[in-house]
Amino acid sequence: MYVLHYAPDNASVIVRLFCEEAGLAYRTELVDRSIGVHESAGYRRLNPAGLIPALETPEGPIAETGAILLWLTDRHGLWPEPALKGPFLQWLFFLSNTAHADLRRLFYPAYYAPPGSEAVHHDMAAARMQMHFGLIERALTEHPAIFAPPFALAPYVAALLRWSALYPAGGTGWFALNRWPALLALAVAMDARPATARVALAEGLGARPFSTPVHATPSEGSVL
Amino acid sequence: MSKTLYRLHAAPDFASTVPHLALVRLGVPFELAIVDFESGALDTPAYRAINPLGLIPAMETPDGPIFETAAILAYLDERHPGVLGPRPESGARAAYLSWFFFVTNTIHPLTMLLVHPERAAGEAALAAASREVHAQLADRLAQLDRALAANPSLGWPGIGFYLAVMVRWSRLFAAVPGDVIDPSPYPAIRALLAAIEATPEAQVVAQAEGLGSTPFTAP
Repeated sequence: MYVLHYAPDNASVIVRLFCEEAGLAYRTELVDRSIGVHESAGYRRLNPAGLIPALETPEGPIAETGAILLWLTDRHGLWPEPALKGPFLQWLFFLSNTAHADLRRLFYPAYYAPPGSEAVHHDMAAARMQMHFGLIERALTEHPAIFAPPFALAPYVAALLRWSALYPAGGTGWFALNRWPALLALAVAMDARPATARVALAEGLGARPFSTPVHATPSEGSVL
Repeated sequence: MSKTLYRLHAAPDFASTVPHLALVRLGVPFELAIVDFESGALDTPAYRAINPLGLIPAMETPDGPIFETAAILAYLDERHPGVLGPRPESGARAAYLSWFFFVTNTIHPLTMLLVHPERAAGEAALAAASREVHAQLADRLAQLDRALAANPSLGWPGIGFYLAVMVRWSRLFAAVPGDVIDPSPYPAIRALLAAIEATPEAQVVAQAEGLGSTPFTAP
């Protein structure tokens, strides 16, 4: 059984949704960010970068959301049909390396923007995110099969949509889900899935966590 | 003559160097399509159909076009398993993928910001942004160096080729001269780069792209 080291509404939620959709056996282990567990030596043994999530497997720990998704996809044969492997990998890496990386810039401006330049930094990163969602919207209409559950892309896209609507507090004005009809449809469809309901209950994500997100009210742990 | 399997859209010393190294290493039939980016080739509808972001590289495959350096590498690794990374069923796969993603989604964006610090927060904040990014990148390279030292078998070509090109850029192309990356604190990374530089594929690619005889150890 896998052990998913998680914090509510962190990137671990993508892996959790994927495991639920695919029916993989796992249990969760809370990483309590409020007391800095992710920065502890114990956690650093699982993920030296100190980031959430990490997944313990019989073959050792895996860090990085995209790496975990790709590893599980391989191990459990959760690929779309062979001819769509290329597009699937294409968009998995786009989500991980371009979209998620730019979204992190919006969430953690202090890592990237010198004092005084936060507003410019925010606007530049927001403009990039709008372009990225436009590209994902187009990919969704071109290759709907790779974005369907139980494959790994659907939960990744859904989580990026959720976070864009919620974080950073006071800095989400650039995001309007109804600008992208295919993305809106994906969020609505994901909200209706039993796997989503189980994860939303466990992490306090509300009734419609992707199409109409509200801040998480988890029963354990903290988001930040 | 063997049939060309892949067509890599490339330019010398761009991110296309990474899949170029991989294709030569795999020994699969491919051709390079040199992108004349200075005359606007990246903005043509034909190129945007292959890479909607208008970036180099992109690769045409039997399964359609792929863009993003890391996606191209992962695709080649799936199609030709066991050369760029451990085979899918190998127990070494978990650690390999963790660090492959770390290089591609953490080291790569930070390196790009070191080269283009104006992309972080505009021209006015360029110098300060460069300092921030330099500190972050040095810290991330130190993490990777520790991981490589603890587990030298991580140094598969998929990680090594990618890292070699990133470290090369961080030494050559930092926008602020004082913020170039000094590799001396990272012995495991330096050893991996030296090993890659000594491979035939590195020499072939360095020759083809005009990268000099020591592209990774003394660029």
